[in-house]
Amino acid sequence: MIASVFKMFGSASFWALLLRLATPILFAAMGAFVSSASGIANIAIEAIMTLSALGGVLGSYFTQSALMGCVIGLIVGILSALLISLFSMKLGASPILVGIALNTFADSLAIFILYTITGQKGTSASLKTPTLGSVDIPVLKDIPFIGQIFSGHYVTTYICWLVIILTAIMIYKTPLGLRIRSCGLNDQAAETAGINVNKMRVLALALSGVYAGFGGLFLSLNSIGLFSKGMVSGLGWMGIAANGIASSNFVILILSSLVFAVFRAVSAIFSTNQAFPTDLVNALPYFAVIVILIVTGVVKRIGQRKGSNDVVLGEVRDKHRH
Amino acid sequence: MSESILKLTDITKVYPNGTVANRDINMEFEKGEIHSIVGENGAGKSTLMKMIFGIEKPSSGTIEYKGSEVHFQSSLDAIAVGIGMVHQHFMLIPSYSIVDNIILGDEPNKLCFLDRKSAIKKTQDLSDKYNFELDVTAKVSTLSVAKRQKVEILKTLYRDAELIILDEPTSVLTPQETDILFDQLKSFKQQGKTIIFISHKLDEVKKISDRISVIRNGVSKGTYLNEELSMDQLTNLIIGRNLDNDMDEYKTHEDFHNAHALEIKDIFLGNPEKPQLNHVSFAVKNGEILGVAGVEGNGQVDLVHCIVGSQKAKYTGTIEILGKNATKMNVKQRRNIGMAYIPEDRIGDGIAGSLPISDNLISSYYDRADINSGLFMNQKKINELSDELIENFAVKTENRNITVESLSGGNVQKVVVAREYNTNAKMMIAEQPTHGIDIGSAETVHHKLIEMRNAGAGILLVSADLDEVINLSDRIIVMYNGEISGYFPDVKKVNAQELGLYMLGVKHQTPEEIGGAMND
Amino acid sequence: MTSKVETKKKINLSITNPKVFDAIKLIIAILIALAITFVLLLLISNDAVYGLKTILTGPLQKSRYFGEVITRTIPYAFAGLGCALIFKSGAFNLGAEGIFTIAGVAIAAVATTDLSSMAGLHPYLCVLAGMVVGAILTTIPAILRATLNINEMVSSLMLNSVYSCVSLYIIRNYMLTTTTSTIGSKDYIQSAIFGYIYEPLKITPCLIILLVCTVIVYLIMYKTKLGYQIRLSGTNAQFAEYSGINSMKLSIETSMIAGALFGIGSACQLLTQTTFFQPDKSVAGIGFSGNLLAMLGKNNPIGVVISSFFIQYLEKGTNVLYFKDQSVPSEIVAIVEGVVILLISSQYFLRSFREKKLLKDGLEK
Repeated sequence: MIASVFKMFGSASFWALLLRLATPILFAAMGAFVSSASGIANIAIEAIMTLSALGGVLGSYFTQSALMGCVIGLIVGILSALLISLFSMKLGASPILVGIALNTFADSLAIFILYTITGQKGTSASLKTPTLGSVDIPVLKDIPFIGQIFSGHYVTTYICWLVIILTAIMIYKTPLGLRIRSCGLNDQAAETAGINVNKMRVLALALSGVYAGFGGLFLSLNSIGLFSKGMVSGLGWMGIAANGIASSNFVILILSSLVFAVFRAVSAIFSTNQAFPTDLVNALPYFAVIVILIVTGVVKRIGQRKGSNDVVLGEVRDKHRH
Repeated sequence: MSESILKLTDITKVYPNGTVANRDINMEFEKGEIHSIVGENGAGKSTLMKMIFGIEKPSSGTIEYKGSEVHFQSSLDAIAVGIGMVHQHFMLIPSYSIVDNIILGDEPNKLCFLDRKSAIKKTQDLSDKYNFELDVTAKVSTLSVAKRQKVEILKTLYRDAELIILDEPTSVLTPQETDILFDQLKSFKQQGKTIIFISHKLDEVKKISDRISVIRNGVSKGTYLNEELSMDQLTNLIIGRNLDNDMDEYKTHEDFHNAHALEIKDIFLGNPEKPQLNHVSFAVKNGEILGVAGVEGNGQVDLVHCIVGSQKAKYTGTIEILGKNATKMNVKQRRNIGMAYIPEDRIGDGIAGSLPISDNLISSYYDRADINSGLFMNQKKINELSDELIENFAVKTENRNITVESLSGGNVQKVVVAREYNTNAKMMIAEQPTHGIDIGSAETVHHKLIEMRNAGAGILLVSADLDEVINLSDRIIVMYNGEISGYFPDVKKVNAQELGLYMLGVKHQTPEEIGGAMND
Repeated sequence: MTSKVETKKKINLSITNPKVFDAIKLIIAILIALAITFVLLLLISNDAVYGLKTILTGPLQKSRYFGEVITRTIPYAFAGLGCALIFKSGAFNLGAEGIFTIAGVAIAAVATTDLSSMAGLHPYLCVLAGMVVGAILTTIPAILRATLNINEMVSSLMLNSVYSCVSLYIIRNYMLTTTTSTIGSKDYIQSAIFGYIYEPLKITPCLIILLVCTVIVYLIMYKTKLGYQIRLSGTNAQFAEYSGINSMKLSIETSMIAGALFGIGSACQLLTQTTFFQPDKSVAGIGFSGNLLAMLGKNNPIGVVISSFFIQYLEKGTNVLYFKDQSVPSEIVAIVEGVVILLISSQYFLRSFREKKLLKDGLEK
């Protein structure tokens, strides 16, 4: 068995699978990251992914254009994220409660919309939906091994890595990033420096909606163009967990998302192997997240004596008092 | 002089919860003057300044800046016309560098990217010009309080502020640092900048001001030329009666046989290279108040965490409370053997805001037999107790069922003190017990502390307010850099100036002298 | 002081009184939600007026319908009660869904075991099995939070997925039915099924268990030391620490009670609504609804039970409508629920009315 694991890690197809399965987690993680950096927790990533996935499918089905589906999916993502800002910032509800509520009824809402618009129950399988599909990268695809890993991915996977680079630059190298982070670290300081904290947070939430929206589109518009009930299945929460581990460090955010994806890939490969009990192999990615959280929790505890930061919302906030 | 820069007409501010903070304030500020606004805590000075700086909007009345009426929507608008403010609680981001803090909100950029290079040059030049002696690339978290204040002032200068508001700027400074600040303010004045200086320390106000405006209970009591006003007149304007500062006459001196209420031996906290507490030892006797003076951030907060038994503080050394070894005890066990605690951050650590007053009055002894009966809590008993405490401490409220967060700061603090007083504890930690509350409430708090002391409790008083420390304490220790730098066995023989030297680390006693804190 | 208290005795019925204000808010939120429902019905159904009328009165058309509403309310109310306790203590453990499932495995194990010698006790042994499993497993996120500061939302949601997979594994490998091709347990032994205490409405003893538990949870929350600690920690955890409350012990105790309630709820669902246990179907969605019901009832046990009834009533009404008008799916209830929850959780919703009044009072003073 150990030999088979080694063989797996040595195969290009495993790493290609990893990159594919990492995509939605990476998007979800960035969505959680950018909003918590601005000081407002978006735990409704899962809900936004669900609604965007549906928006993408319906958009693509009605316009018969995957690109339009993509645009509509992202708009749905932004609007759902802005629901959080409407209720938490404008109407004073706790963003956590709003997030829990959205997560809990997003599935029902999606099913409702799908049914009333198309008459389909729970899945869009019978709707003919154009997809974004995948691309081969010229030259790169012909390089042995490397080409197998990095070429031939879904369009959204390439977009994902582009977005990662752009986000890192935005957060650390632009005035906008400095401002967004300042709102999360000390909103009063930001306010008195003349920054419109609410505006920054609305912007960050909208961005977070774009990220989560892409995550949803990855699920619904790639190969067969399908929305089905419960398809996000905890990927959004994995992103939130990655954000918790990262505690406002973007590099760790990406790395922990990739580690989660490794377990998804292992699980995906093992689940086709009759030697392993499928049900338990299916549980592996989720179980792994808990184990990784425990390990990082222990490491953090040893590393710093004051362990009072919240592991998920990335609240390593500076104390408001000086 | 005499060219008006800012004019307030009939300014009234009512907060959404119904509190009237300011009523019909009329005030005029002239270009190039240092204009002090004085009044006791809670008189409405800060609210007024927040309106000038655009953080709050007046409920009615007008603000004129340079002759034209302004309606600031946010501080951005105030900054844009040239108003800067140094807040009492610094508005800095500790994990950012000085330069990032200064440019935040007005960043130099090149093609959408931050231009840190030119930002560093510009801010460093500014710092050097005013002899601020700062390395602008340093992180704010590494700076002392006085330096952080300089960063705050630099922030206003970076934006070319012509009118600078300083809200209680000296409350965190030693007397020596205050002198340096005053020199700087005078040099700003010479360059034509207008300074609004807010304080409740009258000697400082007399020292620095050209003109003085007084606010009492949210109402303006007029503006006066500094030289026209004597200290007594000023005091009368502020509180309408003379201050009763000297608590000595309330103290009784029974013999409690030098028994120790609290004994701290060799407490060490933090990593060996940069300890937060470096082998601190002292004792608090029964029937005395031991004052802890020090500039904020020199280990006082950590010291309190250790003594209270907070999970945050993993210290070495021993702590004895009322003769029992409490080193390994948690908060509950320490409270059980007779500890009480008035925390500095009363909203964050001292109350459950959305619960009723009565619930907040029993939190330190909710499991005591007399307010429990069998499986259930005895609500009748709790209600009686609450009414008694509310009356005894003169908490201003309609009844005990009102949420504690709807009370004013002073009344919230009375709730906290009433509760801790009612624990009948013989060892009390009072951390900044009157910080930011009105004089009436502060007096109540002081009298109750003395009362506990007279009854034989040992009280550790941690306060940044030197006057409070000197007025209340029997003995005083000074903390500097996580260590005790000075010990004063007789409070009558020290003055604020002397303590300031120890607070700054300019002077440091020998280990033998400091040893008195434990052995006297 | 005392004389002042006396004069203030008469009840303040204006919106400056927070309780009156909350009640008005709730009523307006429900009206808004119904208005939205009506608009949706106008868009999707053939006859919106008939639709709304059927949703609101459908369950009363037949006594059987009303009985079903009551029976179906019970497991949801248990989920809501448990979540309310956890939320009240300031934790956001969202693990009810997984606990309902994994406790279901234990309940099914007891229910499929022949205990006919113990006749009348059999269903209660099933309930007990559910309680024990629920109480133990619900503490895991609490322990992870208290020891390693791992966010309980993430850990509980991950555990939900783990439990769901593990339940499938156990049923598939040890308890699989031989009569149908679905993944489910063998049929329960007849003696494990709850009988009726009121035949016409098919009311089972579960209703009595629920009412007793509601009273107990209410007493715990508002009349005991434990409840005091829960409320204090939920309002301000830092303050609770300085008051000497052991947060780890408290969160474990709270989770155990909540978990026991989830276990009972799962048993009430399985032993009244199903004849064999399917991990991915029998209790699906109840735990997640519990989170919403706790919010809807503002974490007040009585509010939670009323909310559960309200939602089940609407669900039944929608079902009745669906028989006659297939264009309206039952998910429409989720929209009503969502709108009401979001509005009543919004502190500022309608606040300006109240503030204007307060401002006026303030200026008059």
